[in-house]
Amino acid sequence: MRKQTLFGILLILTTPLLFAASLDTDDSAGAKLIRSNCLGCHVPTDEGLSRISYQRKTPEGWEMTVNRMRLIHRLKINKGDLDIKSSGLHEIVKYLADNQGLAPSETQGVRYLLEQDLNKVETQFDDEFATMCARCHSGARVALQRRTPKEWNYLVDFHLGQFPSVEYSMFGRDRNWFGIARNKMVPLVSKKYPFTSEDWSSWLMTEKPELDGKWILSGHMPGKGYFSATMQVNQNKKDYYSLSVEGNYANGEAIKGTGSSVVYTGYEWRGNINFGDISLRQTLAASADGQTLRGRFYQKGQELIGMKIKALKDNPQTQLLSVFPRHIKKGETTNITITGSGLTDSIILPASITVNKVISQSNNSMVVKVTAKNNAAIGYVNIQVGEAKLTNQLAIYKQVNALEVVPSYGVSRVGDNGGSTPKTDTLFRAVGFDYGKDGIANTADDLNLGYIEDVTWQVVPRDEVAKKDEDVKFAGHMNTSTGQFSPAAAGPNPERYRSTNNAGNLNVIAKLTENGNEISGIGRLLVTVQRWNNPPLK
Amino acid sequence: MKHLKAINNKAHQVDDAVKTGELDEVMAMQTPVGCTATTDPGWEVDMFGSVAGLCQPMEADLYGCSDPCWWPAQVPDMMNTYPDWSKNADSASKDWRNLDSVYPDDKE
Repeated sequence: MRKQTLFGILLILTTPLLFAASLDTDDSAGAKLIRSNCLGCHVPTDEGLSRISYQRKTPEGWEMTVNRMRLIHRLKINKGDLDIKSSGLHEIVKYLADNQGLAPSETQGVRYLLEQDLNKVETQFDDEFATMCARCHSGARVALQRRTPKEWNYLVDFHLGQFPSVEYSMFGRDRNWFGIARNKMVPLVSKKYPFTSEDWSSWLMTEKPELDGKWILSGHMPGKGYFSATMQVNQNKKDYYSLSVEGNYANGEAIKGTGSSVVYTGYEWRGNINFGDISLRQTLAASADGQTLRGRFYQKGQELIGMKIKALKDNPQTQLLSVFPRHIKKGETTNITITGSGLTDSIILPASITVNKVISQSNNSMVVKVTAKNNAAIGYVNIQVGEAKLTNQLAIYKQVNALEVVPSYGVSRVGDNGGSTPKTDTLFRAVGFDYGKDGIANTADDLNLGYIEDVTWQVVPRDEVAKKDEDVKFAGHMNTSTGQFSPAAAGPNPERYRSTNNAGNLNVIAKLTENGNEISGIGRLLVTVQRWNNPPLK
Repeated sequence: MKHLKAINNKAHQVDDAVKTGELDEVMAMQTPVGCTATTDPGWEVDMFGSVAGLCQPMEADLYGCSDPCWWPAQVPDMMNTYPDWSKNADSASKDWRNLDSVYPDDKE
């Protein structure tokens, strides 16, 4: 208490010189909470507060920092006389992410971590960085921070102090870990992920768009298939929105739901929305002009079950967002759905496709029954409505030559069974390819046919050990029609050799039978043990 | 390695991998996001890209991971951060259900 009073006096005496532009005068709940909770340890400096004012992070990054203060330093956020419902964490994170966040360009290439799209192997980092900074957690977790050199040094020191075995676990031992970390990695990350950047300075000065209005969405819902919808976004107060969604899956099933969202740093959209009884989280980035949102929706509690999303702000001007399905077989008739804005004109397709009937048409969606002629040339076709064109999205194909299983390497974790960690399902999809006119794989004329719905799924042992240990029997269940794998229960299993866990080393097989031929694709599935530490940035 | 002699199956596997040159390849292997690449012996995945070389079951040696904070991103480290994590689970093999998730979940 005495210490806080001392810092309080220091703060009052030196505020005009010491604090960053707004923290000392900002009357937002977040700034007030920082002033009343953080100054006991974080002292005023020439440019703000020690430690805090020399780092920039995403909303999730700041959330983890504040939670670390709660967990390690026993911070209990005192809300004082602030009339807020939450613990105060959200308000602090909002202030910090808004004022010391990352510019949109600074998150490019690593947004998968924010989007919880984790079934990826990070190949973009060099070996030295990977073994130093990405052997316990992702490399993206580092790449989504900006610090001064001094702060990067402190981060190295923190790791060694908090997790001393970092020096003698694998890739730590038998080398001068600390020397390399301090003398090689810190200069490297200070240059690559600097605290001051033109992009951030310029983003701070940019006027941020309001995101209320009507949005057109399209995606591929796990277990349901392609959908189109509109999302009405109403602003409650700056950066806080109410959402309502209406639409249809390709099979005609209706989508209806409501939700809410918060926008951090002027573009980082985080929301929750229900599609019927499916609860989804939204991680999206708004474009600088406020006309598009891109990112991912994923199931609450099952982050690997999700879909990429692109949304367009409704506009009287004709714009095309998507078409699905993304393939028509020569000689076949099917319904295609086109989504976008201002869809008032007729659809224009090449002569190789006959438009049989416009089944429905609104400003945002058009369902058209079409036939690809028997003599149609295989290849991508352009879709045109008014002056707007969609290219390389719809293919006329002859046959599916290959299936690519995505993700190529997925992870599922055992869970439940009375423990504190839920099972982590994982989802596989199959992307079809026609090898094109030359019939040869991996050449320029290969056609990406998008997701193929009619595949069947199974898991098989990946090697002889997995076969001997009966991993397929014990590790969990693959839904043969949706490609969603649900792992088995956590805990030692007395039915297994040495009562081992229900882990498994499996291959995932997608199969499609077409014209009597069987086409298959193969992916990899690691069914493994749970994590008890689940921060938003892994 | 020349002064060490393999006496169990797992050690023989490592020996074989060294002889065939397989180990260099697997040591550099990258794992999906969220899994540790510290594969001695590995939390989610072993150095062969499998699960057969992990502790079996992991509960049998769980505190051998949490006490020296071997995989602190996955397993709460009891050395510094969560010293009381196991207070309701004297035997991890029997009491693992009493081990809590540690990251706070108070999102609105």
